[in-house]
Amino acid sequence: MAGMLYALVALGFVLIFKASGVFNFAQGAMVLFAALAMARFSEWIPGLLGIDSKLVGNLLAFCAAAALMFVLAWLIERLVLRHLVNQEGVTLLMATLGITYFIDGLGQTLFGSDIYKIDIGMPKDPLFAFESMFQGGVLLNKEDMVAAAIAAALVAALSLFFQKTATGRALRAVADDHQAAQSIGIPLNRIWVIVWCVAGITALVAGIIWGSKLGVQFSLTTVALRALPVIILGGLTSVPGAIIGGLIIGVGEKLSEVYLGPLVGGGIEIWFAYMLALVFLLFRPQGLFGEKIIDRV
Amino acid sequence: MAHKKVGDVILDVKNISLRFGGVKALTDISFNVKEHEIRSIIGPNGAGKSSMLNCINGVYKPSEGSITFRGQTFSHMSSRQVAEMGVARTFQNLALFKGMSVIDNLMTGRNLRIRSNLLLQALRLGPAQREEEAHREKVEHIIDFLEIQAYRKTPVGQLPYGLQKRVDLGRALAMEPQVLLLDEPMAGMNVEEKQDMCRFILDVNDEFGTTTVLIEHDMGVVMDISDRVVVLDYGKKIGDGAPDEVRNNEDVIRAYLGSSH
Amino acid sequence: MLYRENGQFKTTYRSDQQIFTISQDRWAILALVAFAAIAVPLFADEYLFRAILIPFVILALAALGVNILVGYCGQISLGSGAFMAVGAYMAYNSYVRIEGMPLIVALLSGGFFATLVGMAFGIPSLRVKGLYLAVATLAAQFFCDWTFLRVGWFTNNNPSGSVSVSNLSVLGWSIDSPAAKYLFCLAFLVVFALLAKNLVRGAIGREWMAIRDMDVAAAVIGIRPMYAKLSAFAVSSFIVGVAGGLWGFVHLGAWEPAAFSIDRSFQLLFMVIIGGMGSIMGSFFGAAFIVLLPILLNQLLPWAGELIGVTVSTAALSHTEVMIFGALIVWFLIVEPHGLAKLWSIAKQKLRIWPFPH
Repeated sequence: MAGMLYALVALGFVLIFKASGVFNFAQGAMVLFAALAMARFSEWIPGLLGIDSKLVGNLLAFCAAAALMFVLAWLIERLVLRHLVNQEGVTLLMATLGITYFIDGLGQTLFGSDIYKIDIGMPKDPLFAFESMFQGGVLLNKEDMVAAAIAAALVAALSLFFQKTATGRALRAVADDHQAAQSIGIPLNRIWVIVWCVAGITALVAGIIWGSKLGVQFSLTTVALRALPVIILGGLTSVPGAIIGGLIIGVGEKLSEVYLGPLVGGGIEIWFAYMLALVFLLFRPQGLFGEKIIDRV
Repeated sequence: MAHKKVGDVILDVKNISLRFGGVKALTDISFNVKEHEIRSIIGPNGAGKSSMLNCINGVYKPSEGSITFRGQTFSHMSSRQVAEMGVARTFQNLALFKGMSVIDNLMTGRNLRIRSNLLLQALRLGPAQREEEAHREKVEHIIDFLEIQAYRKTPVGQLPYGLQKRVDLGRALAMEPQVLLLDEPMAGMNVEEKQDMCRFILDVNDEFGTTTVLIEHDMGVVMDISDRVVVLDYGKKIGDGAPDEVRNNEDVIRAYLGSSH
Repeated sequence: MLYRENGQFKTTYRSDQQIFTISQDRWAILALVAFAAIAVPLFADEYLFRAILIPFVILALAALGVNILVGYCGQISLGSGAFMAVGAYMAYNSYVRIEGMPLIVALLSGGFFATLVGMAFGIPSLRVKGLYLAVATLAAQFFCDWTFLRVGWFTNNNPSGSVSVSNLSVLGWSIDSPAAKYLFCLAFLVVFALLAKNLVRGAIGREWMAIRDMDVAAAVIGIRPMYAKLSAFAVSSFIVGVAGGLWGFVHLGAWEPAAFSIDRSFQLLFMVIIGGMGSIMGSFFGAAFIVLLPILLNQLLPWAGELIGVTVSTAALSHTEVMIFGALIVWFLIVEPHGLAKLWSIAKQKLRIWPFPH
C-alpha cells in the first residue's frame, strides 16, 4: 500500500524534527538521492569488483549508499546548519528548500536521470489471507508486508536509540532548546550530523523500498510533498503518528478515488490528502498524536 | 510628593484563581486599584505577579473569579477588549516589534484610534494622510517626553536594553490609556536609568492622572513611588496596604527573607 | 559626496513621511521610470521583451504580492501559483463569457476572485503558522491545480484543456506588439507598486509587521490578528491574481494549469527571499535575479565547460542550474537573510558617506 511508503518518508521528517526542531523539506530529495545511489551502486559495484552473488553485491551497495548519505549529512551540517543556528524557523525551512533543489540537481548529475531498478529480492507475488472470514480472502501484498516489517524494525531500533542511549537523550535536549543544550556542553554540531545521518539512513531504507516497488525515478521527489499531510495527521512530533497517519492517508486516498472520484471527475488523489490535512489544521493542528503547540509571551 | 486626588475604585479583582494543568499559579486573589493611584505588586520570584497582570490584560483566562473595570464585570476579556477599554501594558521580556523603527513601534500603539480603511490608505488621499500626520504628532510628543529623539528611525532591535524599555513604555503611552500595567519596567537597569524611569512614571501619573499598576523588585523604588502595595507569595496574597504597613508586615518579611529555624 | 542629505531639512511630518525622503532618490526613481517607459521600448528587440522584460515586469508584480503576505505579514505561503491561476482563469472567463468586457476590468475581476480564494485559504492562518500554514497553502495549490484541470466550466469546456486569448486591446489601443505588451504590464506594475508602498507605510502595514514580529503582543495593543492576517491574504492574492491574469493574457497568450504549478509558487517565494522580505524594492531585485539567472547560466556554463574541455549537455545543464539555484538560496540565507534589498541599502549607506570610510 502506498500508505506504508508515505509513512516511511514521514518517519524521516518526524525524526529530524523531534531531534533538532528543524523541519527538513529536503527529506524527499534525500529519499530519491539515496535510492539513486543504491540503484547505481548495485549496478556498478559488482562490475567493479567482479562479484557474482546478488546478496553480497546488494549489501556492498547498501553500505556504499549509507556512507554516501553520511557524507551528505556531514556536508549539510558543516556548510549550512552550522551557520543558521539562531535563525527563526522560517529561515531554516527555506534553507531546507534550497537544499532540496541542490540535492535534486546533484543526484541527477552524479547518477543520471533515467529510470533505474532496485532488486533486493522482495517478494512480488500476492498473498491471500483470511480466506475463512471473507469470501475469496483478502488480497495482501507480500511486498508491502515485508516493507511494513522493515519499517517496524527501523522504528523499534530508533526508539531504543532515542530512549536508552546518552546520545538519544542529547538529541532530545537539542530538539527542545538549542541554546540551553549548548550551554550544558552538548556539542550541537556533532548532534546535528548524527540526526541527519539517521534521517539519511531512514531515507535510504525508504528509498530502497519505494524504488524496488516503483522503480527509481524523478517523481520520487513529489514523495516529500505527498508525505506532508501524513505528518499533519499524525502529529509532527509523533513516530507512531507518522505510521498511522501514513496508513490512513494511503487507504483514504484509494477509497476516495473509488467512491468520490466518479462524482467529481476523477483524479482527486492529488488533493484528498491535503484537504484532509486542512481540516485537521483548522480543528486539531497537532494531529492525532502530536504535542499541543503553545505560544508564550 | 505632590498632593493628588486619588479617586474611587476603578479596577476590582475578585477571587481570581489561575491553573495551568496541575499547577496553581494564583489562588483566590482579591484586591482593588483606585483611580489615579500608583499600585505596586511585589513578591518573590514565581509568586504569580506577571500571571496576575496577564489575567487583567486578557492574555490568560482565569479559572475562577472576576474582574470589574469601571463598573463592568468580566470573568474573562479578550486582549483587544481590554485595550479598547483603555488598559495598556508593558512586558517583562519586551514584546517590541524588533523589525520596525521606534516611530513605527509607537505608531502601532495608536492603532485603535485609526479610522481610515484600506482603500483610503492605499491611495493615501486626504483623510488618510491627515490622520497619519495627526498621529505622528502625538507620537512625537511621547518621543520628546521619553527623550528618545535621536533614535526615532532606528530599528528597535538595534537599541540597547534600557532604551528598548523606554520604547515599550512609549508604546503603552501612545494608547492614551486610563490604566497602565507595567511589568518590571526597571529590570536590568542601572541607577541612573532607574531614576529616569521613575521620573517618567511619576510624570505620567501626575500630568495625565494615569492609574498605574506596577510590578517591581526594587524595594526602594516601590516604597518611594507607590500609593499602595499588594504582596503575593506562591500565588496567594499576603499583604495589602500602604508601603509602610506592608514593610512591617511579618508575613511579607518572612516571604522575602525566609523564616529562621 | 554625491549622495549627501545636507540641506535637506524636513519641516513637516508630511515631508518626513514621504516615500523617498532624500531628493537624490526621488530624481533617481523618476529617471528610472522614465527610462523604463520611454527609452527601453525604443532600443529593446523582440527577444529582450519576450524573454526578459515582460516576464520580469509581471513576475515582479507577483513577487510584490507575495512579499506583502510573506515578507510584511510573516505568513508563509506556498500557494501563490494557485492564486495566479485563479486570477488568470477567472479573468479569462469574465473576458470570454461577458460581451464587451473591457480588458482591464476582466483582469481586475480575476484579481477579485483570487482575493476570495486567498482569504478562504488564509483562514487556517488564524489557527496555525509556519510549516503548518505552508501545508494549508499547499492544499490550495493542489486543489486549484485539479480544479482548473478537471472542472470544465473554467476552461469554457474546451476539449484540449487549455485556453487562449487574442486581440487584446485597451480603449481602442491594440496590444499586440512586444513593446505595447511591455508598457501595458509596466503600467500595472508602477500603479500597484505605488499603492502597495502606501499601504505598507500606513497603519495597515504596521499592523502586518506587528503580526509578523510578535502576534501575541500585537493583540494586546488592540490589533486584531484576524483582520490583519486576512487583509494581508486579501491584498496579496489580489495583486498575485492580477499578475496571473497578465501572465496568461499578455505573456503566454494560451495556457494550461501547468503554467501555475507548484514550481511557480516556489519561484515566487525564492524571489521574495533573495530579493528581500518585507521590502517593495526587494521584490524587484528578486524578480530580476530569478529571471536573469537561468539565462546567464545558459550562456556561462557551456563556455566554462569548454574552458576545461567538457561539453555540457542540455540535461546536465539544467541539472547544474538546479544545483546552483539551490546553493544560491542557501548562500543568501546564510550570508544575508534580508536579501538583495539589504545589500542595496548597505551600499546606499556607504554611498552617503563616500568618499569617507565611516
